[in-house]
This record gives sequence, C-alpha cells and structure tokens, in this order.
Amino acid sequence: MLTMTHLQKVYRTHLIETYALRDFSIRVNDGEFVAVTGPSGSGKTTFLNICGLLEEFTGGEYQLDGVNVRGLDDNARSRLRNEKIGFIFQSFNLIPDLNLFDNVDVPLRYRGFGAAERKQRIEESLTRVGLASRMKHYPSELSGGQQQRVAIARALAGSPRLLLADEPTGNLDSLMARGVMELLEEINRQGTTIVMVTHDPELAARAQRNVHVIDGQVTDFDAEPSLRPATSGDAAVAAIA
Amino acid sequence: MEIRPILSALMRSKVSMILIGLQVALTLAIVCNALFIIGQRLDRMQRPSGMNETDTFWLGSYGFGANYDAKAQQQADLVALRSMPGVVAATSTNSVPMSGGGWGEGLSLQPGQKNSTAQTTLYITGTQGLDAFGFKLVEGRDFRPEEFTFVKFGDQPHPQSIIVSKALADKLFPDSSAIGKQVYSEDKPTTIVGVIERAQQPWMDSDSIEYSTLLPMYMPYGNSTRYLVRAEPGRRDEVMKAVEQKLVEANPSRIVGKVKSIADIRRDAYAEDRAMAIILGAVIIALLAITALGIVGMASFWVAQRTKQIGTRRALGATKADILRYFQTENFIITTLGLIAGGVLAYAFSLWLMHAYQSPRLPWYYVPVGFIALWLLGQLAVLGPAMRASRVPPAVATRNV
Repeated sequence: MLTMTHLQKVYRTHLIETYALRDFSIRVNDGEFVAVTGPSGSGKTTFLNICGLLEEFTGGEYQLDGVNVRGLDDNARSRLRNEKIGFIFQSFNLIPDLNLFDNVDVPLRYRGFGAAERKQRIEESLTRVGLASRMKHYPSELSGGQQQRVAIARALAGSPRLLLADEPTGNLDSLMARGVMELLEEINRQGTTIVMVTHDPELAARAQRNVHVIDGQVTDFDAEPSLRPATSGDAAVAAIA
Repeated sequence: MEIRPILSALMRSKVSMILIGLQVALTLAIVCNALFIIGQRLDRMQRPSGMNETDTFWLGSYGFGANYDAKAQQQADLVALRSMPGVVAATSTNSVPMSGGGWGEGLSLQPGQKNSTAQTTLYITGTQGLDAFGFKLVEGRDFRPEEFTFVKFGDQPHPQSIIVSKALADKLFPDSSAIGKQVYSEDKPTTIVGVIERAQQPWMDSDSIEYSTLLPMYMPYGNSTRYLVRAEPGRRDEVMKAVEQKLVEANPSRIVGKVKSIADIRRDAYAEDRAMAIILGAVIIALLAITALGIVGMASFWVAQRTKQIGTRRALGATKADILRYFQTENFIITTLGLIAGGVLAYAFSLWLMHAYQSPRLPWYYVPVGFIALWLLGQLAVLGPAMRASRVPPAVATRNV
C-alpha cells in the first residue's frame, strides 16, 4: 500500500536545520492495520503528514498505492489525497457550521461525484457508523465519540484505500475510545488499510503490527527488517557550522 | 458550486452576513440614486445657452450726476466699443442667458386672451444683437436699423417686430412657420420677423427655459446700461481688460464695472450643480471604499477564524483553487442577498425622491449595472483574504493547538 524508503524531512531556518524524519523507512501492505508509536516529538505526526500528503519531504522515496509521490504538484497531491486517503483526526475536525450530512459531503464534493451518488455514499457511511438518524444534526449536538464516528464516516465515504488516524481516541473517554477502536477494527476487517499514530501502548497493541519511532527514525527494525536504515545518525538536530 | 452548504453555514452566523448584506444594500441604493442625480446635474450643466460663450463678456455702466445723459452715452459707448481692436460686435442688453436676472412676459395668440400661450424672457437688445450674442438665425431676418426704438425705463415695451427662439416659435405656431405671424403682449400686437435656433432664458430653473424673445430697443435703466461684447476668437481676455479703461476715459462721470465673461456666468450659474455632483461623487467613493473595506475585514476575520477548517478541507482533498472559490462563492452569496435588498431599496429611495423633490424616476438599468459593479467590487475585495486562505497548508489539520 505504501512504501517509504530513506525518507528525510528537514526543517531549515537560516541558523539551524532540524531533522524531523531521518532515514525513515517503512512498508505497509494492503489490508494491514499498523500502529505507529513513539514519544512526543519523535516525528509521528510528521510521518503522518507526509504519509497523508499534507506535507512534502526533503529526501528519499515514497510510493503510495503504486504512485511515486515525489515531485507531484499541489493539485495532483490534493487529488491523490482525496481519492486514496481518508483522515481521522484527534480533535475530529468536523466543520461546526455544517450538519452531519454536509460534513460527510465535503470530500465527496471535491471528488466531483454527482448529487445522487454523494447522497447514497453519505447515507451508507453514516449508517455504517450508526448515525444515519442524525444526519441533520450539527456536530455540537453530538458527544465526542459520536463526532469521531462522523469523522470516520467522512473518511470512509470516498472509499479510500488507506485510512490515516491521528490519535483517534486521544480526546475520548475509555468507553467511547473502545467503541471507536472496534469500529476501526471492523473497517480494517472489511479490507481498508489503516495506519494509526498513537502514543497509547494499549491502543497500539490492538493493531496487527507496531512501528516504533524515536528521533525521527524507525527503531523497531524487527518490524521492518528489510528496510533497516543504511546509516544511522546519533542526533536528530545538527547545527550548521 | 457549493452554494447550498455555504448558504446553510452562513445561516448559522447570521449577524456578520446581515451586517455586510445591509452595507451592500445601502451602498447599492445610495450609489444608484446618487449616480442618477449626478447624471442629471451633468446633463443640466451641458445644456447649451444658444449663444457664443467663449468669446463674449458683459459689463455695466452706472452714470451719476444731474447732467448724465444715459441715452446719448449708450450710443456713444456702443460706437466706442465697436471701434476697439479685437471687438467683433457689441450691443446693449438688459440680460444674458444664465445670468439669473431678466424680464419675463406672456405672449398670446389673440388680444384679450385670458391666459397667455407662452411665457418668454425679453432680451432688449440694440443693433448687432444677433452677432454679439452669437444667436443663429434659422428663419426670417435680423432686425432692420429702422425698427430700433428708444424706450424710457419703466414704460411697457411694445415693438413692431420681434425675433423668437425656435422652441418658442414651435410652441406658438406648432403647425406652421412663425414668420410674419402676429402675437400679443399686453394686448398689443407685434410681428415675428425672425427665428433663432436657441436662446436660453436667464433663469436656470425655468420651466420654459428655451422660450426667449429679442426686442429691437434701447432702454437704459435710469443711468445704467449693460453691454454685451463679442471679441475675436482668442482675444476675449485682452479686450475685457481694455474695455473698462476705454469707457471710463470716454466719460469719467460713471462707474464701469461688473465685467464678466459669459464663461464665468455659466460657471457661477452651475456652481451649485457642480458642488452637488462633487459631493455626491465623494459620497459614492467613500461608500464603495467602506463597503470594500468591510468585506476585506470580514473575510480576513473569517479566514483567521477558520484556519483549521481550511486546513481540514485541504486535507480532505480541496485544491488551492477550491479554497479560493469557496470564499469567492461565500462573498457572492452575501453580496447577492444584499443586492436583492438593495435593489428594492434603490427603487423605494427613487420613489421617495420623486414624491418629495419631483425628481424623475430612476431608470431601470441603474440597478442591474449597480449589481454588476458591486459583485465585481465584492469579488475584488475578497480576493486578498481568499488567496491568503488558499495558502493555508493542509498540515494545519493535524495541529492540535
């Protein structure tokens, strides 16, 4: 599904260059449920952003579902993102002024689907998360768990090949978190590849495979034996002379 | 187009939408009517007087002393003026178009007619009157020298022959030529011998501004006389300077003054119209600027407020162009709602002006043209904030601060 090889992300200022990802390599196969774990500042979110084409990388290679992402312009990245990836954010990122129907409709409109197809997809995905009866409600009228379910419905509506989840239960209590995790597992069982970033070991344990990231590098090479970095750096931050 | 979801999102934050919509509505209503009034004033200012305004000026002679002979002095002055270098023609006259002061009288087709057929102004002119004014004779003839008479100030002038403006001739005799026809003033008959193309009355607000009559007469008012002088093209200012000195030298027992070009008389006559046009123009510019700034301010605030939402939309697949279009569509919706209200308001405002000030009805096309102008203004105003929004990176979606 996705392969990152010796990927590098450097933030440069006039004084300093900071490596957010360094020689980062990972492969996620079709239908896998992978949890990416690591402490705060380890590069998890940068990985997720690059993985979801939200940010560009500065070195290495990234293949997403057979497409070489390097060098794609902003429009092509937007299209690819819209067609192949569904996002689930920690704070749900629903649009407060739109009802559930219109929230789920957002990526479908950018996809260019006709009104009838959009309606069918919206109803199907809201049914799938158990909120079909609340289509005309606004996000503020829902609990956190329900809001995350709407976000999942929005992510699923375009039938993406890859679901990226950024701390999907981070803002939920344990009961709601369990419900969301069960939903993600069910979605995975139905064939969608899921990459979930989390710092919660308990949550990570429910994924099929864990990849641990520290200082912008994959450290659990047992999980990625074939992609062991060519070189390993001691520091994630290097001062420019 | 995302009109429905944008509209329903806007309905959730009505206050900003209503405020900007109202601003657009008021701007449309005021700008349309103000532009119409400016147009009317400019049209009014463009009205031709019928006379040569470029090369002409007039001046007054005010004699004093018991032995001052106004009648003789008037003739001497005309001889002196006509002999001056650069003078094409000179005549005595009681008034000129646009001067604001003159004589008026009713002309009738029959003696004893209860209501006169037309109200006219009377230009009491000496010889060379047509040349000095620059009035264009279109029918009949100029006055003959023997037709000029002297009339004592205060006596009712009853000339044998008159020249009338075409508008007056058409009013008096719509179906036939006025030449040779008799008309009556104070039940005394007079014959129309000539028709001039156009001669405005001195009063700018007159309902019958085109109805003018020339009388072949000399009539000093007491010791005062006014002269109209036409200079050779390009020599008006030079002649104006020389004339005053020449007349004072000819007879120091008088004051020569109030030398004023007809161009200045026009400027003064329309000063109020010009001021009104300038003030309304400034109001229009200020209103448009305030509306544009209001839109920029509101759109900028919304972009700042919705940064995360914009990032989320980008993450969900929106291109930069989609984000740009979103804000432009949003502005289009708000502006359109404001314009619909503004269109109604513009016609209502026009109706009020019609009733309160007898103003003509606002032509229908002002409002649609205003729609297009304000749509363009709105789109231009929102372009900056919308472009800023389109540059919000999609990675903003995953930031939790």
